[in-house]
Amino acid sequence: MTASILDGIVLGFQFGLLAAGLTLVYGLGGVLHLAYGQMAVISAMVVLFTLDAGVPVVPAVGIGLIAGGLLGLILDLTILRPVYRLQGEARVLLSLLLTLGVAFVVDGFLNWRYPLVGLSLHVGGGPVELLGVPMRRGSLVASGVTLASFLMLFGFLRGTALGRAVRSVIEDEEGARLVGIDPRRMLRIILVMSGVLAAIVAVTRSMVAPVTVTAGFSITVFALIVTVVGGLGSVSGALLAGIILGVVNSIAASYIGTFLSLIILLAAAALTIVLRPAGLLGVRE
Amino acid sequence: MTGRFSKATGTSVIGGAEQHPSRSMRTVFLLVALVGALLALVPLWLGSSRVMMGVAVLGLAFACYVIAFNLIFGSTGQLFLCVGALAGIGGYGGAILADTVGVPVAVAIALATVGASLTGGLLSWIAVRRSLGVIFTGIVTLIFSLTFENLLLGLGTLTGGESGFLISAGAGTFIRGQIPPYYLMLAMVLSFVIVHGLLRRSHFGWAFRALRDDEVAAELAGVDVARYRVYAAMIGAAMLGLAGATYAFAEGRISPTTFGFAQLDVTVIVMLAFGGIGTLFGPVLGAATFTFLDEVLIDFGRLRLVAYGTLIIALFLWMPRGVIPTVGDLFRRRRNRRQPGSSRGHSTSGPADDPPPLASTEP
Repeated sequence: MTASILDGIVLGFQFGLLAAGLTLVYGLGGVLHLAYGQMAVISAMVVLFTLDAGVPVVPAVGIGLIAGGLLGLILDLTILRPVYRLQGEARVLLSLLLTLGVAFVVDGFLNWRYPLVGLSLHVGGGPVELLGVPMRRGSLVASGVTLASFLMLFGFLRGTALGRAVRSVIEDEEGARLVGIDPRRMLRIILVMSGVLAAIVAVTRSMVAPVTVTAGFSITVFALIVTVVGGLGSVSGALLAGIILGVVNSIAASYIGTFLSLIILLAAAALTIVLRPAGLLGVRE
Repeated sequence: MTGRFSKATGTSVIGGAEQHPSRSMRTVFLLVALVGALLALVPLWLGSSRVMMGVAVLGLAFACYVIAFNLIFGSTGQLFLCVGALAGIGGYGGAILADTVGVPVAVAIALATVGASLTGGLLSWIAVRRSLGVIFTGIVTLIFSLTFENLLLGLGTLTGGESGFLISAGAGTFIRGQIPPYYLMLAMVLSFVIVHGLLRRSHFGWAFRALRDDEVAAELAGVDVARYRVYAAMIGAAMLGLAGATYAFAEGRISPTTFGFAQLDVTVIVMLAFGGIGTLFGPVLGAATFTFLDEVLIDFGRLRLVAYGTLIIALFLWMPRGVIPTVGDLFRRRRNRRQPGSSRGHSTSGPADDPPPLASTEP
C-alpha cells in the first residue's frame, strides 16, 4: 500500500507539473493548447540529439529547456496571433483547432523522420529506502526536480512583481489593463514558461520511463484531464489533482490491473467534472 | 474571468453557427436529388475495383458521421468529442449482438442504434443538467471516448482486443456485396441531410436561432433549450449508431481503429470545418473532399499527417467558416454589386462586413 501511494505521488508530481503549464495558458489567455505534449516531445528530442552530439547531461538538459521556451515563443508569435483577436469561447475553439493542427504537423514529421526514437535518462545508483519501501533513484531525482520546479513556480507567481501581474490578469483582465498591465505581454511570458515546464516534464519523465516520439498526444490528454479536475487557471489545483489522480492510478494499477486503472482514472476525472465543474480549487462564478 | 468560459448556455458564437433557412424545403429536396444523382454515378466510375468501392463506402460513412456531428455541435453548440465512440457503440454493439448473441442483422443494427442514441442523450443530459459549457462538454465527452477505447482493448474476449474481429453475420447477403452497400450508405447520407433540413425548419431550429440572436429574450419567451439539446444529441447519436453499425456489417471487419478518436473524431472535425459548420451540405462536401484527398496523399505515408495538420492550420486561418459559407458570401457579394439595393432583407450584418471566425453572419 505504502509503495503504491509513494509511486502515485511520484507520478502525481509529474501530472501536476504537466497540468500547471496548460492551466496557466488557459486561465490567462483562454488558449487551449493541444500541442502541449508535442512541445514536451520536441524538447525531449532536442535533449536526445544534444546528448548524441557528445554534450554532457546537464548542459544538454539546459538546451532542451531553452528549446521548450523558444517553442512557446514561436507559437505565441505565429499561430496564436489570430487567436488573440477573438474573445470567449470562439477564442478557445480556434486555439484548440489551430494547435491541433500544429500537433499533427509535429507528430507526422517526427514519426516520419525519427520513428522509434525515445529519450530515457538513466540516473545511476541502486534503489533508496524511503518509509521502508525501496524507491528507484530515478523516480526520486525526478520528483525532486519536479517539486523544485513547483516551488519556483509558486515563488514566481506569489513573490515577484511580474508573477503578481500574471495572476492579476488571471483574476481580472480588464482590471489588470486599467492598472497598466499589458495582458498580451503576460501571455507571451506564460507561453514561454509553459514551454519550459513541458520540457522539464519531458526530462523528468524520461528518468522513469522513455519519452517516445509518439507520446505527445497522451501527454496532452493527461495534462488536459488533470487541468480540468484541478480547476482551470489554478496552479495549486493542478498539483492537488495531479497527486490525487496519480495515487488513484497507481493504487488501482497494483490492486486491479493496468487496464481497469486507466478507466478508473478517467471515471474519477469525469465524476469530478460533473460534480464540480469548476474543478477542485477553481472558482465558479 | 472564469465566467468567460463557464457560461452555461453560451451558444452566442459557436452554437449559433447556423444559417437562417432562407432556402425553402423544396430547394433542399432539389439539392439533395442533385447531390444524390451525382454520387450515384460514382460506382459507374469506380465500381470495378473492390478497394476503391471500399474507400467510397467509407467516405459516405464519414459523411453520415459529419452530418450527425454538425447536428449536435453546429446546430445546438454541444461539442461532442465522442463521435467515434458513439459510432463504435453502433458498430461493436451491432456486430456483437449479431455474431455472439445471434440476433438477425437488421434487428442488431436497430438495437445498436437505440443504444447509441440513449448514450448520446445521457451524455447531453448530464452536460445540460450540470450546465457544462462548450469546453467542459468537450472534455467530458473526450474522457468518454478514451474510456470506450480502453474498454474495447480491455474486454478482449468480447471485442477481439487490438486486432478486432471478423463479422460472420451478414456474410453472403447484399450488405457484404461490392456495390449495394454504397447505395445503402448513400441513401442514409441523403436522408440524414433531409432530417437535418427538416429539423432546422421545425420548432427546434427556430429555438436555437432565437437563442443565438438573443439568449435572454429567447429564454424569457419560454424556449426550453435544455430539452432541445438532449433531443438533438439523441437524434445525432442515433445517426452515428446507425451509420457505424451499417458500416461495420458492410466492411465485415471491425477493430478499435475503425472508431478510434484519432482516426474518426479528428477527421470529422476537419471535414466539418472545411465544409462549413452549421451548413446543410458542408458535411457532404467535406467528407467527399477529404476522402478524395486521402487517396491522393496515400503515397506520402507518414507525411500524410503533416499535410493534414498544415491544411487544418491554413483552413482555420483563412477560411474559418468553411468553404460553403465563404463561397456563398463571394457569390452574394457579386450579385449585390450588380443589383444595388437588392440585398436580401433580414441580414443582420451585411455581406461586406468582415465576419469574425466561427461566427456566422449568413443571412
